[in-house]
Amino acid sequence: MKLRAMSFNRYRGFIARCAAAAVLAGACALAPAHNFHAGITDISYNERTGSLEVVHTYMAHDVEALLTNLYQRQFDLSDPDDQAVFRKYVEKQFWLADKDKRRLPLNWVGMTADAQSVVVFQEVQQTPASKVEIVHDEVMIDFLPDQLNTVNLTVAGSVRTFGFSSNHPEFSVH
Amino acid sequence: MRLRVLPCALAALFSPLLVHPAAHADDFVIQRVLVEGGRASQLGIADSANAGSVSQKELEMRTIYRPGELLEAAPGLIASQHSGEGKANQFYLRGFNLDHGTDLATYVDEMPVNQRSHAHGQGWTDLNFLIPELTARLDYRKGPYSAREGDFASAGSASVTYANRLVRDVATLSVGQNGYARTALAASRDAAGGALTYALELLHNDGPFTHPDDYQKVNGVLRYSRGYANNGWSVTAMAYHGRWNSTDQIPERAVDDGRIGRFDLVDDTDGGEARRYSLSGVWRQTTADSMSKVSAYLIRNQLDLWSNFTYYMEDPLHGDQFAQPDRRVTGGFNAQHTWHAHRTDTVTSDLSVGLQAQNDNIFNGLLHTQARKTLETTRQDHIVETSRAAWIESATRWGETFRAIVGLRADDYRFRVKSDLAANSGSAGDTLVSPSLNLVFGPWKSSELYLNYGQGFHSNDARGTVATIDPKTLASLGQSPGLVRSRGMEIGLRLDAIPKMQTALSLYRLDFDSELSYVGDEGSTEAGSPSRRYGIEFSNYYKPVKWLSIDFDAAFARARSRDVEPGEDRIPGAVEGVGQLAITASQLGKNGAWEGALRLRYFGPRPLIEDNSVRSHASTTLNGRIGYRIARDLRLELEGFNLANKKVSSIDYYYASQLRGESEPREDIHFHPLESRSFRLTLIKNW
Repeated sequence: MKLRAMSFNRYRGFIARCAAAAVLAGACALAPAHNFHAGITDISYNERTGSLEVVHTYMAHDVEALLTNLYQRQFDLSDPDDQAVFRKYVEKQFWLADKDKRRLPLNWVGMTADAQSVVVFQEVQQTPASKVEIVHDEVMIDFLPDQLNTVNLTVAGSVRTFGFSSNHPEFSVH
Repeated sequence: MRLRVLPCALAALFSPLLVHPAAHADDFVIQRVLVEGGRASQLGIADSANAGSVSQKELEMRTIYRPGELLEAAPGLIASQHSGEGKANQFYLRGFNLDHGTDLATYVDEMPVNQRSHAHGQGWTDLNFLIPELTARLDYRKGPYSAREGDFASAGSASVTYANRLVRDVATLSVGQNGYARTALAASRDAAGGALTYALELLHNDGPFTHPDDYQKVNGVLRYSRGYANNGWSVTAMAYHGRWNSTDQIPERAVDDGRIGRFDLVDDTDGGEARRYSLSGVWRQTTADSMSKVSAYLIRNQLDLWSNFTYYMEDPLHGDQFAQPDRRVTGGFNAQHTWHAHRTDTVTSDLSVGLQAQNDNIFNGLLHTQARKTLETTRQDHIVETSRAAWIESATRWGETFRAIVGLRADDYRFRVKSDLAANSGSAGDTLVSPSLNLVFGPWKSSELYLNYGQGFHSNDARGTVATIDPKTLASLGQSPGLVRSRGMEIGLRLDAIPKMQTALSLYRLDFDSELSYVGDEGSTEAGSPSRRYGIEFSNYYKPVKWLSIDFDAAFARARSRDVEPGEDRIPGAVEGVGQLAITASQLGKNGAWEGALRLRYFGPRPLIEDNSVRSHASTTLNGRIGYRIARDLRLELEGFNLANKKVSSIDYYYASQLRGESEPREDIHFHPLESRSFRLTLIKNW
């Protein structure tokens, strides 16, 4: 687990629970104690730009495995052509909608990748966080059945956290 | 040991590893994360220093004259041609003249390509149906160190993976010298919750020969897939049709005295026609604790091949042309399952078991012909060859510093031959158990040491396992064993210590109980004497900056027959050295629009006769390509082959032949020239 430090604190409690579960599982000879798959998304309003900013963080190994298993070839996440492939996937799997169920126009700002993590930046221009009614997040969830995505939505200074999984790929904010 | 009880016995043997099944199933494609566009490191992944994986991008940057040359991405491997372009290539690896694929197991899309008990040569590997635009990856390994691979895998194996989906659709149009023209289309569509991928290829090539090859190819693939490669399935249909004229090898004496030119031929009716149709499927399921895979295939192959290697030696009136028709249906499946186990915090185990079965229903023959018209039938056979195998492999990691892969494989073959001669009909069987052990030490940060031991095998031609009479001479024959054991051992080192550089070094020994050797004047392979090979392989990949990469590989091998007369221990055609130096540059110029590659290939000397008195010369050839991106989705490429226009041979043989006008047969070098310098221009459109 090497997610961004800023996200890590929020996640610590959850990891502790998982670690505890793993210890318990280890006590039972036949229980799985496997790799843990998670992603974190922060959604917040930037007053300076007036945009709603969305920042996703995934484990680089998971993204690599996803793309390799989709296209059976190696991917270089520093290559713009290969980034475009991940972009297409994220844009299909993650979206925001308003109360009339109209999708908010999420623009792709860019992404960064290093050996540990992949960070994706998106924005909805001239839109306050309060506009968000529905969050749909199936990024990696269709690929890794145990993937858990945490979305932190900051509205008017208060953070609300939602946990997305294969059983719960969509949340209504209000 | 009977095969039926074997899986149970093996399971019992390895059962202690099953105590804690769990963990890491999603890591089955253990790719190191790439962030600088370099080649993925094999540290922590490969079980030997000789194994590797070549990515689609690296394959695209290679200059290939023919599809089989894609396999040359495996260091030390040479693919050449001694006849018409539609014929299976001639392969060399690890001190072997692999003829058309003996001892090199090749797979495309989980289907075996080698054809056993083939009319022309054991393990016949015709890769002309390979479509580079669909190729997502090439994996290779050398030596008989894996329980997962059986027949023909002793020198090495190469596996080509086709993509389930393409990132971008592609259409290409190429024109070149010597009547070369090619167009290909490969595309993917979302369909019915999955992906439909298709490709179509049309090709024409004459080559530099006086009598043009007139090779015409039509080739197509249609695939439907659902889900991901590790959790999903695909069904694929392929069809290939090729026809060609052959310029077979010619005698040196006739070229030296000006009777014929380097690109001339002797029999202008040599040639062939091949058809291949297949239907195959792959299903995979991966969970946190396990991985299962089942693949199955049904392949229809048809070959008509007319060759004349001795001209007028056997029949001064009609000539020696012979036909080797081969029609077969190959069906089979591979099933495997892996359990992942966390034994302690630092010790993990993968236990894998597999079952394989293959059946070949073959009608082939050897006919004496003149201008492709049958004069007489030398032999005709109906062969049913059935094999089944079970394997088990345990891979255990003790922390970061040590891992061990122990495997055991059992193979059982049945050969049933119904020949036109009752004395050459009958059935035979053979069973072989092959253990393997791989130890990997990695206490250092950026290097690993490998110790590999394994036994492998190749099957012999079914006809040889039951034959008692030579159909040509009616002399009595000894029967060959069905399966021939090989034993390999290797010490290897993989080093990523120098920044941006990957180096691998292997020192190996490989013994065969019987060498499959090529009989030049009969156009077939036969089981020969035992052999021993020592070799060293050195391969380097250096990517100092993002836009530049350099490959340098060198391999040397010493091959000798054993249990033969002193001074008669050389193995004809066994290559003594192979090397390549490739420089690839990309993203050059304004907007990174230019790219290019140059590749120098060294094909070392070979003894052509057992007493080493006749040898072939080494050759060094240079290929290159330049690419220019006209627009984001449009590229132009210029490929150049044999840039120095070297007059060297692709292959040399030494045997007796007789030309028209000659009073008696003469021993001579027979060679097939390397194609003269030629260029091809390709326009590639992506969308």
